[in-house]
Amino acid sequence: MTKPKRTHPLGLLQHIAKSIKDYWFLLILVLTSHDYTSIWFWGIMTILLVAFFIWPLAKWLTLTYVIAPDAIVVHSGVFVRHHEHIPYARIQTVQNKQWFYLRPFKLEEVLIETASHSDSAPEARLTAVPITVAQLINHYRQVATTAPTATDPQTDDSPATATEPAPVTATPQPAAYYQINYRDLVKFGLTSLIFIPFLLVLLGLYNKIPHKVADALIDDASHLGLTLLIGGAIVIVLIAWLGAFLWTLTRYYHFELSRSNHQLVAAKGLFQRNTVTAPLDRLQGVRIKQNILRQWLHLQTIQVLVASKAASDDDDNDLVVMPVIDNAIVYRTMQPFIQWLPSQQPDLSALRVARSWYQIRNTMLVVAVPIALLWWLWPSWGWLSLILLPIAALQGRFAAKNTAGALLSPKLLALQTGHFWERELYYIPTEKIQSMKVTRSIWMKRTHLAHLVVNIRHGNHNQAIELRYLHADAAHAIYDWYLHRT
Amino acid sequence: MPSTNHQLPPRIKRIWGLSALGSLVALLVISGLLWLAHRYWDWSIWVPIFALILTVIEPLIEAGLIPYRYRFTRYHITDLAVEMQAGFIFQKRVAIPIARVQNVTLNAGPLLQWQKLTKVSIATASTSHDIEGLELAEAERLREQIMRLAQEARHDQA
Repeated sequence: MTKPKRTHPLGLLQHIAKSIKDYWFLLILVLTSHDYTSIWFWGIMTILLVAFFIWPLAKWLTLTYVIAPDAIVVHSGVFVRHHEHIPYARIQTVQNKQWFYLRPFKLEEVLIETASHSDSAPEARLTAVPITVAQLINHYRQVATTAPTATDPQTDDSPATATEPAPVTATPQPAAYYQINYRDLVKFGLTSLIFIPFLLVLLGLYNKIPHKVADALIDDASHLGLTLLIGGAIVIVLIAWLGAFLWTLTRYYHFELSRSNHQLVAAKGLFQRNTVTAPLDRLQGVRIKQNILRQWLHLQTIQVLVASKAASDDDDNDLVVMPVIDNAIVYRTMQPFIQWLPSQQPDLSALRVARSWYQIRNTMLVVAVPIALLWWLWPSWGWLSLILLPIAALQGRFAAKNTAGALLSPKLLALQTGHFWERELYYIPTEKIQSMKVTRSIWMKRTHLAHLVVNIRHGNHNQAIELRYLHADAAHAIYDWYLHRT
Repeated sequence: MPSTNHQLPPRIKRIWGLSALGSLVALLVISGLLWLAHRYWDWSIWVPIFALILTVIEPLIEAGLIPYRYRFTRYHITDLAVEMQAGFIFQKRVAIPIARVQNVTLNAGPLLQWQKLTKVSIATASTSHDIEGLELAEAERLREQIMRLAQEARHDQA
């Protein structure tokens, strides 16, 4: 039958890149010695050669794969051999990543993930394989998921018929299709808050500036006065924002979403084209997210939660299926893709927080500790930290106001939370809820309140969606329904 | 199938008592080490004193709460779900549908083994929930029941 195949030699580049990413710190060793005659120097060179060339080469040489009709088999390992069998029905997501330099060769990287907890790494990672491989996998996968119910007795010949024709005929017309336009892409980039981490990186760089230069800068700054300082701060924020904007732009360039044969396919990226395929019935939930900027502009981002790490390098570890969309057309646009979503903004008032006071109190108590500490350490500046109090209070109020939820149908639960000025609305098919919890302290008995926690699988871990300080009757109604549902 | 709220076997109280004693011993050792640090490395005398206060208070609270802990810890199994309740000051109730159960694990440390008890962990695809101690026979029966119901539930779905 099919013989184990090696990945394309270009895959070696990927292996090398990965070892440089993992062992970059070894490069520092080079700086420790400039004496080309010493044994030390040549020792370092040998280590580097092994780490960045021989080891990746050995890994590449030893990795082989077979795309059999019943399972994907991957053999790998230099000293310890791994033989990984992945039946198609167990695959959660298939991710194809194509760097621009692989495009002319019609190659791509394929990552296959199941729901197994075992590793943070994907179950199979084929660094450079022809793009027909992913199509073949996809084809077998659809046979595997549809066959058992429809054509049970014919399991013997179905693989045969599957292997015979050209692996994949023209991909079927998608049942629904969306492509981002430039205006939305720009909007998405501009409203992204990842400029904050960029800002932190810039500030980190500032720390790296030698002390003399920094002192000189501060001296200059004190001469030039406050206006320049503020101006400088604004410039730095703008640079970070622009960097984040360009970063988002390249990553979400030409974003596409399509649905065909009960699968969602999301593709995006300029330098690296990233395509994720997830079966619709494996979705653990849908999350509609708005950061503070997008709340003002009435824009939303839609993600799906899957039981694998497929999208772990996406921002926020999730598979984005709609980067940015106007509030008014969210449901109209999304329903063709995920049909169990409601067709319009539902009424979520069944679960809500009657009094914001408790959450305001809690957030204020949380900041009270650092405020007290600051006051104690810098008595003259401590009063400045008082500004945290109103911020905390507003944050608590935000959390309370945005807590909402309702059981929309026996099959669908909607939950909304607010954390750090980010509003998140979850739609969870009730059969995907792993467990549910109600908690209350004895003091909450008097006020007749309770917290509701809904656990769902998300990536490789548990996501607890917690709605705090709900009316106890409403929380218990949902809980009891869940406990007794058939 | 109607079923009642079960309490844990009363012997679990003995184990909780022993674990409070264990905390006492562990904290005593830590206090001793901190005292040595005070003696030889000139750490402030307040560090071991604080540790000693903790050594007295923590096991006392732990032991004092045992009756409450016993009284308010319950579990409940129906055809559809496993329910657990715990806590007096901070009460919680967890519902785990049997159709979502991935596996049931029994494990027992030396103390539980000595008392012929075992801990039952019920794991779903994302969370894991423990019943702190059950009679061995009861635990086995529970495991069989959950696994049988889980299998039935799965058949129904497919």
